[in-house]
Amino acid sequence: MWQELHEELGPQGLVIVAVALDEDLDTIRHCARDESPVTLTYPVLVDRDHLLAEHYGIVNVPTTVWIDEQGRIVRPPAIAPADDKFRDFTKVDSSLHHTALRRWVRDGVAPLSDAEIRARQELPDADVQQARAERRLAVHLLRRGDTDRAQAHLAAALALAPNDWTIQRGSMPLRGEDPFGQAFFDFYESWEAAGRPGYGA
Amino acid sequence: MSARATLLDDDRAVEVRATPRADTFFVPADELERATGWALKPEGLCRADVCVPVRDRDALVADDGLDLRMFAGTLGRPVALEPDAGIAVLGEAPTTLRGDLDSLVAPAFTLPDLDGRSVSLSDFDGRKRLLFAWASW
Repeated sequence: MWQELHEELGPQGLVIVAVALDEDLDTIRHCARDESPVTLTYPVLVDRDHLLAEHYGIVNVPTTVWIDEQGRIVRPPAIAPADDKFRDFTKVDSSLHHTALRRWVRDGVAPLSDAEIRARQELPDADVQQARAERRLAVHLLRRGDTDRAQAHLAAALALAPNDWTIQRGSMPLRGEDPFGQAFFDFYESWEAAGRPGYGA
Repeated sequence: MSARATLLDDDRAVEVRATPRADTFFVPADELERATGWALKPEGLCRADVCVPVRDRDALVADDGLDLRMFAGTLGRPVALEPDAGIAVLGEAPTTLRGDLDSLVAPAFTLPDLDGRSVSLSDFDGRKRLLFAWASW
């Protein structure tokens, strides 16, 4: 879908920049190249340190942010599924995002007022910021093979940011957990019980 | 004992002299300034035209440098560190991030692509951009 939108809206001025919040470069390459049913012609960047999550207040994926020609955010981070394959989980009609995107690119219709953008922006608190620092330290320790220290810092991150998917689900592969298995369903249930926080709109 | 540590701050990774002690590092002021841009001055910790007052200078500053944990705390920034492993991560202050996001100016970033080439948000200035954050998990 993103490749389709890239081909459709690229000639009308849109640039799609994909950023993978992933530690394992081989896995990202596999997803973006070997497993992809189409050849991706937009840039795919690798953010092993989750700098994008930190600077934009991104707490889950797939998330989009719209930025205009002058470098202003016109739509803050929000969940944007490519299609409706997981709609039972996301409860998001994917076409709404793509329709609004076309209107913005083709017709210049801004999707939100400045006040609406600010109201929808997820803002980091001290605990989430500390969790991001702990996670980042943990992945660097893991790269050095310092597993015990890494796991201690991952545990600290998990405790500080119980509803942040980039911390919780994103660290499952680093903890030997399956992000599509029981660990995910346990997290999903606790996140849902907390009111599905941070899902954007 | 003097050792070295890697200090990760935003998209920089800088090697500094650092003395591990208890649950923190002490980093010489000039090394810390080189790594982070923050300098210790009579009026406090300063970078460019901004200074942050230091409440307890004796606690922050020792013979072998500044206590990294107190340095971060003075700036309101999170820090995660492993003194014995020689590595520390300085995060961004929540108040700074909130101010940046409230400005609606898209934060700059530079990241490698799948082939290791650096790509910046500003490479696409003058065009509409859709950032798409995804992951394998």
